[in-house]
Amino acid sequence: MQSATMDPAEEPPSMLWGLDPIFSAFARLYVRDILQMTESTQVPVDDGTGVINCLCWKNDLFKEEGGPTKSGEKHSDVAHGSFNLVAELEKLRQAQQRRCRLEIGELLRVRGPVKTSRQQREIMASTYYRVNDPVMSVQIAWMMDVPQLYRQCYDKPFQLQPDATGDSAISSLSKATNLIKDFFKEKSVTRFRPYDVQDLLQPLISSQPQTTPADQKPVAGPSACQQLRQLLKEVLQILQDEGTVYRRVKSQDEVYHVTAHDKDLLIAVKDIIHEDSKRDKYAEKGCHILHILSAVRQRHSLNVSKTALELVLKSLECNSDIVSTSDNHYTVF
Amino acid sequence: MLPAAAVFHFPWEINSGAVQEGESVRTFGRLACYDPEVSEATLSAQHASKEHHVVIHTMFVEPFNPIIGAQYIVLGEIENAKGVGVMVRARVLNCVDGVNTALLQKAINEQRSFFRERDHKQSDAAQPAHAT
Repeated sequence: MQSATMDPAEEPPSMLWGLDPIFSAFARLYVRDILQMTESTQVPVDDGTGVINCLCWKNDLFKEEGGPTKSGEKHSDVAHGSFNLVAELEKLRQAQQRRCRLEIGELLRVRGPVKTSRQQREIMASTYYRVNDPVMSVQIAWMMDVPQLYRQCYDKPFQLQPDATGDSAISSLSKATNLIKDFFKEKSVTRFRPYDVQDLLQPLISSQPQTTPADQKPVAGPSACQQLRQLLKEVLQILQDEGTVYRRVKSQDEVYHVTAHDKDLLIAVKDIIHEDSKRDKYAEKGCHILHILSAVRQRHSLNVSKTALELVLKSLECNSDIVSTSDNHYTVF
Repeated sequence: MLPAAAVFHFPWEINSGAVQEGESVRTFGRLACYDPEVSEATLSAQHASKEHHVVIHTMFVEPFNPIIGAQYIVLGEIENAKGVGVMVRARVLNCVDGVNTALLQKAINEQRSFFRERDHKQSDAAQPAHAT
């Protein structure tokens, strides 16, 4: 008789065991083999609608350690009110073991993924335990609850929710911003007017999903043109706040400069740092960014934002034209 | 290879012959009597002012502690036995004394109507496919 060599998942179905003549006989086995026999993990489960095999792997952890004496021990030496971890763990192990000893006719709760094995669906139980149900209250509750679950939840087809207004607004805004930034890079744009980039955003407007659900009355909303202008306005504001663009001159003519490609601005900042670093005042510590900012605003443009200046300083530093002496202080390299 | 699922039936349905021979069933009732010598027990249930009895063959579930008058749940196969009539050959016989039989009945009916509902919907959906 082979002991642990056969894979428990490969054993014949329990319904056929009675066909094996040895099964019903009192076989004369070695005690060693009796102790090492693999226990079947098959547990066919019937819920009144069907029967399915559950593979309930018995945890080695639950095997008896030592023998009956250990499990029968009383913890009389434990002081009242104290928490003996070892004793509690032992109680837990015993409780788990009791819960996992399965007998025919018992009520079981099984949880696990469904697998197909030998052309049959089985549940690979990740969790299983006996349920104490002396007056069938659990089974009755199950029969009352599950149809409701099906009606309210399982039988309803899964529908992907259309984007909530909030979500689509955010994502199209960031898409729009990125579109325009990519355009600046590709075409090495130094300056532009809004209508130069307006058309770039057109695809974002026409692909907007209908946010009004079909069963609601359609409300008179903004036209595509207005939506486009609104989107453009918002994007330009974001780009300005980021410092990616700035308006050198604020006039009727809405002209924007792309910070990264503005050579004049770059030179202005570099010159300021060069000159001021020579002065005693700034020789040791370097120039503070706010000082540089006010100098740039005087020399170059009142509308240079701090964020735009930060972008310029970063690029100068990358080129090793300047170096930061400390947080927010810069000097010549 | 697995045994068939045992569907819940009421004791009065079993005696009326609503269930075919060989089918697996689950049913319930009060233990009215038990004869260990022939391995026969009787479960009884009240319905529509009538007392209904179901004979249970208990060979596979012996020994069990018979509590006369207690509620039991039985799971097994329908057999037509000579002289006895319809009988359930029990594979499982559990004492569930204290069970709310009215609620159990309600639950069984609830489940049945749900399945009927579902089968209706499925056959409705299949309607255009088959020619009457």
